[in-house]
Amino acid sequence: MRGPALSLAFEGRRPWHWMGLDIVMLNAFPDEATRVRAATLPAGLYADGIDVVFRRGSHSVQALKDCSLDIPRGSWATLIGASGCGKSTLLRVFADIVKPTAGTALLHGVSPAEARANRIYALVQQGSTMLPWRSIIDNVALGLEISGLPKSTRYARAEEALALVGLKGFEKSLPSELSGGMRQRAAIARALTLRPRFLLMDEPFGALDEITRDRLHFELLRILEETGATLLLVTHSISEAVILSDKVIVMTPRPGRISEIIEVDFGRGRTPDLRGDPRFVQYEAQLRRALHQPA
Amino acid sequence: MSSSLSGKLPEFGRFPERIGAILPPVVLIVALILLWSWSAGTGLLPKWLLPSPQAVLGEFSHHSATLLKHARMTAFEALGGFALGALAGAGGAFLLTLVPFLRDMLYPYALASRAIPIIVFTPLIVVMLGRGLVPIILIVAFATYFPVFLALLRGLNTLNADRMELLHSLSATPLQILWKIRLPSSLPMLFAALKVSASGAFITALVTEWIGSNVGLGYLVMVSGQYFKLATMWAAIFSASLMTLALLGLIVLIERLMGRYTSLATEV
Repeated sequence: MRGPALSLAFEGRRPWHWMGLDIVMLNAFPDEATRVRAATLPAGLYADGIDVVFRRGSHSVQALKDCSLDIPRGSWATLIGASGCGKSTLLRVFADIVKPTAGTALLHGVSPAEARANRIYALVQQGSTMLPWRSIIDNVALGLEISGLPKSTRYARAEEALALVGLKGFEKSLPSELSGGMRQRAAIARALTLRPRFLLMDEPFGALDEITRDRLHFELLRILEETGATLLLVTHSISEAVILSDKVIVMTPRPGRISEIIEVDFGRGRTPDLRGDPRFVQYEAQLRRALHQPA
Repeated sequence: MSSSLSGKLPEFGRFPERIGAILPPVVLIVALILLWSWSAGTGLLPKWLLPSPQAVLGEFSHHSATLLKHARMTAFEALGGFALGALAGAGGAFLLTLVPFLRDMLYPYALASRAIPIIVFTPLIVVMLGRGLVPIILIVAFATYFPVFLALLRGLNTLNADRMELLHSLSATPLQILWKIRLPSSLPMLFAALKVSASGAFITALVTEWIGSNVGLGYLVMVSGQYFKLATMWAAIFSASLMTLALLGLIVLIERLMGRYTSLATEV
């Protein structure tokens, strides 16, 4: 059993029932073979020897080289590095948007394509990607609408998710009537309606001001604890990486590869007071050293 | 909205604010009609070239039945052809979007079809199908389908990478992507094209009537011109213009009513 200790540690306290994740899990893999495979393979995010080469004509760029990682179920990881280090590409491999040239990527033991087909992950993009002609609730319910759920169910779940991100009362608003921070929260709510086992986030707070960002960090952590979802988040902010991670995966460019993995031992129940913790400063310094190391 | 701002900027908001935008063009048209009336009264404009506005107006009240009969025919042809053309254009755009093979095969011919001056084929089509509504509607449809076809084809195939990625991650089917993303985001372009087609529909209907019909405003313009009944001719021309404006107005109204889709196309 490769499922590491951390995931077991959270087994006892998982409040999946709130999000109905147990039901999702049973329904996620309808065929017996996949279910058996899913039960024996790492339950979190797993990558082994991922290479990604982009080809355009005779020109080719190695975006990722030999990337391996193991993020236990229910834990939080961030990908950090200078631009062009392939952190978004690695996230997109898990989201089945980029096909790896070589190597294996697994989400709860299944390939990204199967994970996408079974909707066990949810993607939060860099911009909030709201459809401007849809009201906030219709934007948030989009994922459920596409999965073919009846209207009453999807509105109920969308309202639940909106309340969770603090957007109650904005159901009927259009995206253009909301601030950037509120739209980003709506995008997170849209991801949560799917009750995902994995939350894949690509610089979700990149465009926000520091005050909003601070607040959303701890809102996200609270939601993650409530749902027990596994997080993989791309960032270029050192403090964001420390706050949101059990594991910070440091990447270096040309070719993109994982240079170091730093464990952050803040456990659960993190609060904004964390910034005053002396270990926080140490982690930041350690991370900064790792980022500035010559490749 | 601060009142000091709306006084300075052209506003297209609520009704009271819009009066400021409507007034100047109304003043202009009233001034032009007065000028026309004055110059016709003093004989500056010869009567055989442009009769006085009173004469043209009199034509509307004295021969309203005749005008109405011809106008009804033209409206039927133009609207029928417009609807048929727009549907065919939209249908073609959907088909070529969904079936890449058909797109490769047919797109060059769709472009080439624009080069055919369809109106000059009217005599031939009249020989084939006879006089009457059907050939004119077909000619109008052929002449107007293209803007809708091209705009919708472009709109449906102008893909927003983020939206496509989102729908991909949600495991959406191609049909869901078409209905939920590609069609809504191409509506602004579609409405622009409908406006182009709408005026084209009336022009084509009028010109086709010169050759292929003995009823309709185009026929009335031609015949009254030949008999030097200038007031009748001008009344017919104004009727045709009013109908074109009415159709354009209707399209603009629908566009406004669908403002969520047509005015908020900016990226969010």
